[in-house]
Amino acid sequence: MAKPTRLAVQGLAVALVVGLLALLVWRVANDNGKGVSQRLDDGEHPTAPAFDLSRLDGRGRIDLASLRGRKPIVLDFWASWCVPCIHESKRLEAAQKEYGDRVAFIGVDTKDFSSDARQWQKKHGITYPSVHDGSGSVLSKWGGLPIPRIFFVARSGRVVGELIVEEDLPRYLRQIAAS
Amino acid sequence: MKRLLLFVLFALVLVPAARASERHPSLAELEGEVMCPVCETTLDQSSSPAAQQIKRVIANRIAAGDTKTQIKDRLVAEYGDAILAAPPREGFGLVAWWLPVIGILVAAVVVGIGARRWARAREPAPVGPPLDPALERRLDDELRRFEG
Repeated sequence: MAKPTRLAVQGLAVALVVGLLALLVWRVANDNGKGVSQRLDDGEHPTAPAFDLSRLDGRGRIDLASLRGRKPIVLDFWASWCVPCIHESKRLEAAQKEYGDRVAFIGVDTKDFSSDARQWQKKHGITYPSVHDGSGSVLSKWGGLPIPRIFFVARSGRVVGELIVEEDLPRYLRQIAAS
Repeated sequence: MKRLLLFVLFALVLVPAARASERHPSLAELEGEVMCPVCETTLDQSSSPAAQQIKRVIANRIAAGDTKTQIKDRLVAEYGDAILAAPPREGFGLVAWWLPVIGILVAAVVVGIGARRWARAREPAPVGPPLDPALERRLDDELRRFEG
């Protein structure tokens, strides 16, 4: 192989390796690797990851960041194929009667077919608004599957907890309503 | 000429089949081309409730007369590109389609160059022109004298 050609091939190979390394560094630097759920487990209270998604009922969008400083939030990740979600969403619906004036209840319908999701809400009498996260990209920032996952966000925008046992619901609701 | 005939024959067989598949897709073929969003496998390998839901949606759309592209577009609108087992043939998705082809071509070129250099290295060293008879005679005499 002629010297200039050999040098060009070697240069190309080095550029390829450097490019792949840069891609790896960028990926590591831009991925904290932990969802909200895991950070709560570590004792942290992270700021709620923002999202701006279309509402299932077609009445515009919900921008989570716009609620920061205005209202505490209960965030419910659900799907129409998720059987345990029925029970949890019904509990939230009941809680909304008591806390709805002080706390915003928002559902995130995830990895789901939107028309099925609308039917599901109607069938189970769920009236709090939900947004559609079909790809699950929002869910992955909060901890991923399995669902249901229910989070409590204080007025400041900090996530104070996740519902693990039944008693968490009244406890966290009191806490964020007073925030 | 024979190759061209074979190519035309294959095209005549395959193109109508592809068109039929596009116009009247079956649930079985789409199950192999669509992912289950919660189990990271194709639908045909999953019986999860989420997979069952999508299978039902596909069956309903097939019954309604949708083409394969229409059904896939509908699923992508709901779940995003990741719902398709194969990456899209546009934008960044093209990288996934072309990278293997480029890799194979580059590997073929590298192997070809290597094989050529190896074959050249194995060729016997060229033999020089015959010695002048007078010089050869003198060389023999010198050697004989040296050995004697």
